[in-house]
Amino acid sequence: MPSSVPPASTRPAPAALRRSTIFGLRRGEWALVVAICLAVLLTGLVDANHSYFNQPLECLRDIARNTALLGIFALGATVVIIAGGIDLSAGSMIALSGTICATTMLALAPAQMMGFKPVGPLVVALAVAASLLTGFLVGTLHAWLITAVRLPPFIATLATLVGLRSFARALCESTTSSFTPTKSATINVADPLFKTIRDNVSIPVAVFCVLAFITWLLLTRTVLGRHLQALGGNEQAARLAGIRTENVKWFAYCFGAMTAALAGLFYVANESVAAPVNQGRGHELNAIAAAVVGGCSLAGGVGTVPGTVLGAIFLRVVIDAVSKLIKTGADVYEGLIVGVVVVIAVTFSQLGQIASGGRHLLPGRLGLCAIPTLALLAGGVVSMTAGRSAGLAAGAATLTLLGLLRVWESRRTA
Amino acid sequence: MHTAPSAVSMNGISKRFPGVVALDGVTLEVRRGEVHAICGENGAGKSTLMKILSGVYQPDDGTLLVAGREVRFAGTQNAEAAGIAIIHQELALVEDLSVAANVFLGREKRGNLGLIDDAAMEAECRRLFALLECQVSPQERTGNLRVGDQQLVEIAKALSLEASIVVMDEPTSALTEAESARLERTIARLVEGGATILYISHKMEEVFRLADRITVLRDGRHVCTVDRAATSPREVTAWMVGREIATEAFRNPRHAGEKLLEVQNLTLPWPEHPRGYRLADVSLNLHAGEILGIAGLMGAGRTELLETLFGAGGPTWTGTIRLHGKPVRFSHPREACAARMALVTEDRKRLGLFPDLDVAGNVSLCSLDQALRGWLVSRAAEEELVTGPVQATGVKTPGLHAAITGLSGGNQQKCIISRWLLTNPEILLLDDPTRGIDVGAKAELYALIDRLCREGLGVILTSSELPELLTLADRIIVLAEGRVTGEFARHEATEAGIMEAATAG
Repeated sequence: MPSSVPPASTRPAPAALRRSTIFGLRRGEWALVVAICLAVLLTGLVDANHSYFNQPLECLRDIARNTALLGIFALGATVVIIAGGIDLSAGSMIALSGTICATTMLALAPAQMMGFKPVGPLVVALAVAASLLTGFLVGTLHAWLITAVRLPPFIATLATLVGLRSFARALCESTTSSFTPTKSATINVADPLFKTIRDNVSIPVAVFCVLAFITWLLLTRTVLGRHLQALGGNEQAARLAGIRTENVKWFAYCFGAMTAALAGLFYVANESVAAPVNQGRGHELNAIAAAVVGGCSLAGGVGTVPGTVLGAIFLRVVIDAVSKLIKTGADVYEGLIVGVVVVIAVTFSQLGQIASGGRHLLPGRLGLCAIPTLALLAGGVVSMTAGRSAGLAAGAATLTLLGLLRVWESRRTA
Repeated sequence: MHTAPSAVSMNGISKRFPGVVALDGVTLEVRRGEVHAICGENGAGKSTLMKILSGVYQPDDGTLLVAGREVRFAGTQNAEAAGIAIIHQELALVEDLSVAANVFLGREKRGNLGLIDDAAMEAECRRLFALLECQVSPQERTGNLRVGDQQLVEIAKALSLEASIVVMDEPTSALTEAESARLERTIARLVEGGATILYISHKMEEVFRLADRITVLRDGRHVCTVDRAATSPREVTAWMVGREIATEAFRNPRHAGEKLLEVQNLTLPWPEHPRGYRLADVSLNLHAGEILGIAGLMGAGRTELLETLFGAGGPTWTGTIRLHGKPVRFSHPREACAARMALVTEDRKRLGLFPDLDVAGNVSLCSLDQALRGWLVSRAAEEELVTGPVQATGVKTPGLHAAITGLSGGNQQKCIISRWLLTNPEILLLDDPTRGIDVGAKAELYALIDRLCREGLGVILTSSELPELLTLADRIIVLAEGRVTGEFARHEATEAGIMEAATAG
């Protein structure tokens, strides 16, 4: 080690150079906290039944359960995204995990399963272990496809997104035809252990909290966590720094698949059935959305556990708010809400850059065509949920506001 | 005085990047029809200034006049419309497209039905290539061309724009003598046709052969603009450097110790290239306490050599590498680290820095195990760990948890060297460590490298700048197209001798 020690500069850090956190949360994360509070308050006030005030516990239980289920595999998505990858297969992994769990129980205790009787803790333990092991195997498959075959992560996990669900269904049908009189695409799960989980929201919430804490420790306080960030930030440099990048990726994809497998068990418990055709369908995008809303960069290297937790809460609160406001058929709009929330949250985080960089939101001909597109979208959605005249008004208002923004932007440059 | 407006006139141009002032109030006037050379050390701001002229960057301050009219370029297309074409130091070609497609990229000729008219573009391309004495087929895949020919493709692009102002950013850095001569003839022809040339170079000989006037930049400031006839290479070099680097301190003989590394007949195949190899029959020795310099032009194989030694160049190499007399074959940089080797990579941004980690995280990355308390990384232990090397290498940072991207290039490089010092290496491989670093920081890095070497490290240093090698190295090996074409001891090395070896083959 060199011996002569010139003094290091002791200039105080300019604000821009410091990593600014307030009580451990970054600015964007505080913005999410505020947004969550606002959404809850607004819904409580606007909702005609005032269910947030009249039945706060039931509402809280609902949101907590949904958030915990989403959050568990959103944490997995976060780790994969921080490592610079993407896992599109989480939803199918959920279905496969549930199917593995149910088919294992069916194969080990067919009589009890068909008679809706307890199968015993040993069988349940084996089934859960089999599901988690499946998660590990799927993660390994992903890592092999990505590091050895050199498929882009998007392609590798797109293949398993399609393939695993189909595999789960086939497995379900072949197992049911072997162990029960009729072939079926669903398996009912009535074991009391699963019922306990369904009836006690505190179990998934506790599991989510513990997992979040472990993930947070992993990312902020372990060598592996640092290597995950380094890998996502600059893969080539990470390799040249002597990091076994393929092993780090292996871990990341296993973590992603195993959290999805864990979530799959809770979905089975929640719905008392393993249904590979529909369970978890499209959920991978909700997980990625929660991570992105929470500040993860899909370019890799950036993201925090508190961010993802808040992102998951925010998504579920907004979805719940809409279901309170629309009353019937709100689930139709879930995808739309997730889409809009992601766009708005990420746009919001870039507003500063857009303003200071002199960048336009509605530039040129593209911007001109975007105005009626957005107005039509807003008008259409509002007229379907709140009636035709409200829809017309919303469309017109959007058109006017965006038109004004466009005029303001072109004035600003001139 | 000239009554016609100047071709280009820049007034008080400033450009800041996070942590660096790249240009500080530069004023420059370029007359119509002249060859105007811009000289300066790496990091003096030459390239940034030219990128502003060609619309790649927007200045933070100052005004830009082209042919007497004030302009503001939002992008390169605006600059091209105003008749300015730039040939970048890093060539901006799409390797998978044909030569003709590259020449007309973004301005494709269209035929009937608005479909792309390849024949017309190829014909035009052939005409331009005839002017440039270039024998390449317009249908050739651009990635298959030699660097010199790729440069001509860029020039053909500029010609096809009928640009009145052509900026050339160190065009000869990768060219052979014959190719440089061809380029000079091309420049003469362009000037005859009425074009104005801005020529960036730090090769004095070339500048004095080509330029009508010379502008010197240093540390982002304009030093002076003079007629070629009124000055001398020695004077321009003195303006460029500005301050003397105390090279004498390094002149005390170092004492080479035991032999650390022995490389024999190292060959690295390159099947997809006509030459067939990246390195051929490279042999060298490295002793403790000495600096072995490796000279060579761009593409000569310097980086490939260091990466192969470090286990990062792929498993296809043949030959022997011996560490302390024992043959080794690293399949991953990790194994090289374990054998006490360290590689400071050439391209800091792409291969060295982790922009999302802070200063401490960047320094501790390879030795984070030492900051473990039980299973977890202790922040305090990590800070303690990195403070030593950060102070020893003289990193100037607002704090250990400042963003690494906010530091200047020199300080970033010191952070990366600190990272490797923590792994306690025996052999330090430095791949062009001072590229893009300002003169002052360079001098500090030289002193640091010299000190590390005297403390017993074996150092292999590559550099794109010969003076650097001549200042630091005990011995210099010259690579040309993957082969060793010369070896010089310190006292017999001269710039001319090395250049001759580097352009051989």
